Amino acid sequence: MASVDSPAITDDETATFPAAPVPMRISLNQRLASARSVIVRDIAEFHEYQGVIVNLVAQELQVRYQRSMLGFLWTLVNPALMMGTQALVFSRLFRGIGGMGPWEYAIFLFAGAMPWTFLASSITDSTTSLIQQEGLIRKIYVPKWIFPLARVLIQSITFTLSLIALFIMMWPLGATVSSSLLALPLAILLICMFTMGMGLIAATIHTFFRDFGHFLTVGLQAWYFLTPIIYRADFLPTNERWKFWLNPAYPFIRLFQIIIHESQWPPAWLFMLATCIAIGTLGAGYSIFKSQEKKIVFRL
Amino acid sequence: MTTSPESTSNDPVVNLQGIGLKFMSYHDSHPSLKRALINLVLRRQPPATDKAFWALRDINLTIRQGERVALIGTNGAGKSTLLKVMARIYEPTEGQMEIRGRIAPMIEMGAGFHPELTGQRNIMLNGALMGMKAATMREKSPAIWDWTGLSDFAELPLKYYSSGMFQRLAFAIATEIEPEILLVDESLNAGDASFVEKAKARILNVFDKAKAVVVVSHDLGLVRELCDRTIWLKKGRIIADGPTPEILDQYCAEVHGTATAA
Repeated sequence: MASVDSPAITDDETATFPAAPVPMRISLNQRLASARSVIVRDIAEFHEYQGVIVNLVAQELQVRYQRSMLGFLWTLVNPALMMGTQALVFSRLFRGIGGMGPWEYAIFLFAGAMPWTFLASSITDSTTSLIQQEGLIRKIYVPKWIFPLARVLIQSITFTLSLIALFIMMWPLGATVSSSLLALPLAILLICMFTMGMGLIAATIHTFFRDFGHFLTVGLQAWYFLTPIIYRADFLPTNERWKFWLNPAYPFIRLFQIIIHESQWPPAWLFMLATCIAIGTLGAGYSIFKSQEKKIVFRL
Repeated sequence: MTTSPESTSNDPVVNLQGIGLKFMSYHDSHPSLKRALINLVLRRQPPATDKAFWALRDINLTIRQGERVALIGTNGAGKSTLLKVMARIYEPTEGQMEIRGRIAPMIEMGAGFHPELTGQRNIMLNGALMGMKAATMREKSPAIWDWTGLSDFAELPLKYYSSGMFQRLAFAIATEIEPEILLVDESLNAGDASFVEKAKARILNVFDKAKAVVVVSHDLGLVRELCDRTIWLKKGRIIADGPTPEILDQYCAEVHGTATAA
């Protein structure tokens, strides 16, 4: 239990306490009004706790990178080597995957694997963000959502920087600079919203089920292979290809593949689809998190 | 919850109406998704014997500007829990709560300290957590370093601080931000003698400036010295509330009368 005091003795009266009171019938208008007041208060708190969010992000980046320039270098070298290995292996294994040569395949892989890494590591980080700040949450009032938010912000900064750096490294391999790159900020914003929603859901589940991490690792691995990142969508016959669109992460990954690998502006419908999924996921994550937020301190 | 910058001297700064806080004691403290899934598949009912108890019940309490309130009671009476409700760490299960003013919880020192960061950065982080603007905190930090006498270590990561240095810094920050409502949970009694003396003088100064002070303490002498009003909690309910000397006499009589250890 979260109480510092030893539990108060249950006397007869409290032992026979009825279960949760029956919720009163609440009209839709009242619901909307209360949802609005929750959002308004969160916006006010966002403003009030901006300093904390900036501090959390800055301290993490500082711990990670400022101590040594090598810190940032490692975050580059690691995915670069990883993708290099994968590019080598897969281009040998499945020769001419989708008709791509090894260099082109490397760029294709880079375009999909970078946003995926961002998504997966943000979700993993958010999962433990509340437990890690347990000490803080129990000692002082803080809006709890700032912790997953800080995690996603840190990851998005790392993601953006490595995207730029790796793109420059990929230049000699044939990565083309085109006007389509101007669409990248929007694609990054959309995947951040989607990731934030997923992160809020994962953080909530993890607070109540501590073994969620094990499921998450396996789940993310499966999700990775189900998403056309190491293979192209034309891996499946034309009449089955629609199945990829059931995967909520695919529109986001596809945006990056079109922008970076195909050097084209993504079609408007793809942006629309990604926007809808991003807003929907963020909304779902936010409401799930808010519905449990008050209980979190008691379950840490 | 509303925060208003100005309030006249007779306004309640803390107003609790019918506050109750229910704790659930869960059957297993580490609920697992695996078990939940197995229960779902096998259509097994999860053990429904979770016990609930009220850590606080029917707390009606108004603290006006200028009051110094002590919470007393035996262990487990709900003193610290009530403090945490006022600090908004615990959300009450029922009741209404209104707090006017910036709260500084001195419930545990050094909440939000990060060992990898320098002392100076920790001041900024702590200030942000207490709702202070970065610019204000930058103005205040020389005074903090001055009081702690640790200015040579300002750029040293906190993990190299001794526990005494750590505590001095935490205390200096918590008292430097001039809180309007100060919540103190017996965190004063540590450190060497000279620090304790220095700390006491400083906290009395903060007490004078604060709009309201709520102290949880087992040290009845301290309560008698510092607080003009005392609230006695028992099993999560307020059983007496009044001027300190009166309530302390009743409390001592009961504690010694029934031979319950305080």
